Amino acid sequence: MTKQVSRRDFLKLAGATAGALAVGSMVSPQVASAAREAGLLDTQDNGYVSTMCEMCVWRCGVLAKVENGRVVKLEGNPEHPHSRGKLCPRGQSGLMNTYDPDRVLTPLIRVGKRGEGKFRKASWDEALDLTASKMQAIKDKYGPEAMVFSSTHNLSQVQFENLLYAFGSPNYGTQRSLCFNAMITAFLLTYGVEEPSRNYDNVEYILMVGRNMMEAISTSETGELSRALDRGAKLVYLDPRFTKTAAKATEWIAIRPGTDLAFLLAMINVITQNELADCEFVRKYVIGCDGIQEEMAKYTPEWAEQITGVPAATIDRIAREYAAAKHNALAHPGWRTSNFINSFQTERAIATLNALSGNVLRVGGCLSTEVAAEGAGLANPPQPAYPRSSAIRLDGAPWKYPLVPLKLGVFQELRDSILTGEPYQAHGWFISRQNPIMSLPDRGKTLKAFEKMDFIATVDIIMNDTAWYSDVILPEASYLERYDPMLPVGDKAFLRQPVIEPQGEAKSALWIYKQLGERLGLGDYFQYADEEDYLRQQIAALGVDLEEVKRTGYAELPASEEKKDEELTFNTPSGKIEVYSETLKNAGFSPWPTWEEPLQPAEGEFYLLTGKVAQHTQFGTQNNQLLHKYSDEPRLWMNAQTAEKMGLADGEWVEVTSPVGKAHSILEATQAIRPDCVYLTPGYGHLSKGLTTAFANGASDSALHLSYTDPISGSQALSQTFVTVKKA
Amino acid sequence: MTTLTDISSINYRSILFDSTRCIDCRACMVACSVENKVPNDVTRIWVAGAGVIGKFPELERATMPYHCMHCHDPACASACPVGAYTKRDDGPVIYDPEVCIGCRYCMNACPFDVPHFEWDRGVDQHPEIIKCDLCSNRVDGGGEPACVATCPTDALLFGDRHELLQYAHQRIEEHPDRYIDRVFGETENGGTSYLILSHVPVEELGLPGNIPNYGVNKLSEQVMEATLPVAFSWAAILAGVTVGVRAVKKHKGEDSATEETEQES
Repeated sequence: MTKQVSRRDFLKLAGATAGALAVGSMVSPQVASAAREAGLLDTQDNGYVSTMCEMCVWRCGVLAKVENGRVVKLEGNPEHPHSRGKLCPRGQSGLMNTYDPDRVLTPLIRVGKRGEGKFRKASWDEALDLTASKMQAIKDKYGPEAMVFSSTHNLSQVQFENLLYAFGSPNYGTQRSLCFNAMITAFLLTYGVEEPSRNYDNVEYILMVGRNMMEAISTSETGELSRALDRGAKLVYLDPRFTKTAAKATEWIAIRPGTDLAFLLAMINVITQNELADCEFVRKYVIGCDGIQEEMAKYTPEWAEQITGVPAATIDRIAREYAAAKHNALAHPGWRTSNFINSFQTERAIATLNALSGNVLRVGGCLSTEVAAEGAGLANPPQPAYPRSSAIRLDGAPWKYPLVPLKLGVFQELRDSILTGEPYQAHGWFISRQNPIMSLPDRGKTLKAFEKMDFIATVDIIMNDTAWYSDVILPEASYLERYDPMLPVGDKAFLRQPVIEPQGEAKSALWIYKQLGERLGLGDYFQYADEEDYLRQQIAALGVDLEEVKRTGYAELPASEEKKDEELTFNTPSGKIEVYSETLKNAGFSPWPTWEEPLQPAEGEFYLLTGKVAQHTQFGTQNNQLLHKYSDEPRLWMNAQTAEKMGLADGEWVEVTSPVGKAHSILEATQAIRPDCVYLTPGYGHLSKGLTTAFANGASDSALHLSYTDPISGSQALSQTFVTVKKA
Repeated sequence: MTTLTDISSINYRSILFDSTRCIDCRACMVACSVENKVPNDVTRIWVAGAGVIGKFPELERATMPYHCMHCHDPACASACPVGAYTKRDDGPVIYDPEVCIGCRYCMNACPFDVPHFEWDRGVDQHPEIIKCDLCSNRVDGGGEPACVATCPTDALLFGDRHELLQYAHQRIEEHPDRYIDRVFGETENGGTSYLILSHVPVEELGLPGNIPNYGVNKLSEQVMEATLPVAFSWAAILAGVTVGVRAVKKHKGEDSATEETEQES
């Protein structure tokens, strides 16, 4: 393909197909001058640059190989604790994101109707001036709260939040309620920590509830699990689908969706009724020690058998095996836990099982609730105090959802409030590195919410679906082209630095936010001259200079004192593990982990399951040609016997219908799923014609998902949508 | 007929694959494509195997990353009429597209069905055979093949062949419940530099199970070596027959009554 075609002209793009492009055929190579100056490359611009992956949020350390000014290979950094020399398929494919022929390389301003995909190229000055003036106009007319800001899990998020708080809007949409609200809220309430870290060194018995670790890969943790299993640790894995994790498990339990909670409560019943827990530990460190036996008495394995379909004897045996492993048992907290309305209670039961095993007892125990003071030693640029926000949040936190942490929020509720205009109408949406059109349940609603906006601006590296429906697109430099704020991991702070110069006009988020801030009269909040100045201010107190950090890829952080066992305290109101939670009780919820009956499909309906494949991250990587090459085609899985009964054949087109939408998919008749479930390969069904590889490939489950919000954690219930299936 | 090739003394560099560790994530495949600048429509490694086996809920999985076995006696090299394949002293079987004439004899010869041809390319686009070269450039620089280096679960190991074999047998001995009692590639086709530890019969991983324990090219080479003697022998026999037939005809012409006796003699 020629350079002209590769530099996408979005006006003419519709119908274009992705060719067999060799990696990066489009822009003349230009190595990062910073890397050259730091002595990382030789005179021919060959060498390795240490940086960090951004293909998911695990953020492995990467050594980027450069040849003649081009990135030619990425290797896992052996010194980084998240990669340890390895990268997953997404990490390996990262340079294809940077060299994606669909990159947006100049600011774009919409000229056609919203969603029509007609844009014109603009200068940065014009695009930034327009964005700032629209945001300011909305602020002047309706107040700062009429601007919604949303962004998810990236290293520059601290400056995104800075822009949001300086602007004065309380409306912050993260995607966390579509992901891990249930897990984080439950562990905050029980242990006082968002996400306890796992340690597999001594683990003997692992319980994973839908944590598909072999496909939802976190490179180092997936490796640790594999090693633990290899040396003989047992893995009991609950999932209605025979995933690649199920295939590696010692025991796979194809549990009925939404009933993991009953299984776990029955385990707690067996352990407490038979006094199999580490009683000394529980007495000393757990609130709820006294009442738990009585409270859990009703959750017998026989009771759970009726609900879960798992034999009582199996539950009883697993509970006893788990208890016998004592401190070396681990009930994994999970990650994306937005499954059912009862997922918060499921997470509370998981937290309780960990408490009963006493596995947090030792330094280096299977579960660690110690919070390393995040970023200790790293500084931030000075800034004035933020203005007070006078408006309540559109997403209902905390006025409707008192226990939802503000930094998590309830994204689907935010979208619904835009639609209803209650408690007030939002008018503008500033989105960075996020794709709510694909990620939020009930896509039809999200598109309507977009229609209600006076102004939408999106920061991204490609024309994702949300960018396609935006008014202004601000092209960000890819993670191999830019600096981001440093990330502390353990005793080091790691650096993301440019391996090559940004292609086209792309710019770092740090630059974009600062430029917008200055145009909005908020320059005092962005007191850094450029990205390198920002980093120098971050490491000012560490006694190391930036050139050295560029060479090594990290800065050493001051050592923190090691805690001893007797100092074990938890960041909860009582300082103990709160299996019984006064906070929950005071908010009007059950203080104990408690059974909540989930909705069930009617006759002829199926549970619509979502999940993960190892080659993709949510909705962001389907356009990556290398990952496209090595992914299985998206399908609707259905149990082979069920399909046969329904007269449906493997490989034929089917229509999937939910109360809010329809989708078409090719059927995969497989043994690897329960007869009462179907599963749609996640992340596909893109609407943007600016994604030439991903557009119209597969179907989107967000077009089918209903919106359900758990009143405690704000978590969306993504597996609580029931569908019918027929020949297309 | 054919003797077992003893390659135990040769210090080949090899890859050991352990199916119990593989999670079918395909990081190896992406790494290979990037490292070797493999075009997007072809691949040097692919997923082989039966996938999900059994009936719900009694299931297991069988897949493996399949690529060139790097045979001790590479049939591709034997079959190649122009010498586009070379067997390196340290193991890798290397394909040279500059020498290749596109005849695809190698594809027919390979007992593992490895060499793939770029069918989609016209003659003017220089179609090539696509095949793993064990990342010889990386290995020469002291590194590991790209697939091995990135494997998140250590399902691929790289090292000296006899050490890997020893380790593989030790694994089988320690965990007879996990593995079948066979290290595929130890003797198959005379021994290979891709060795496979499997939890299922190797056919379920997509491997040909009935490969003889000698190089299949030895058969053809022996046959080919016999060509001249066979040809000469045939020539001699046929000449004899001709002489005989003529003699008979002559005899028949003289005395047809004695035909039966002549034929019997």
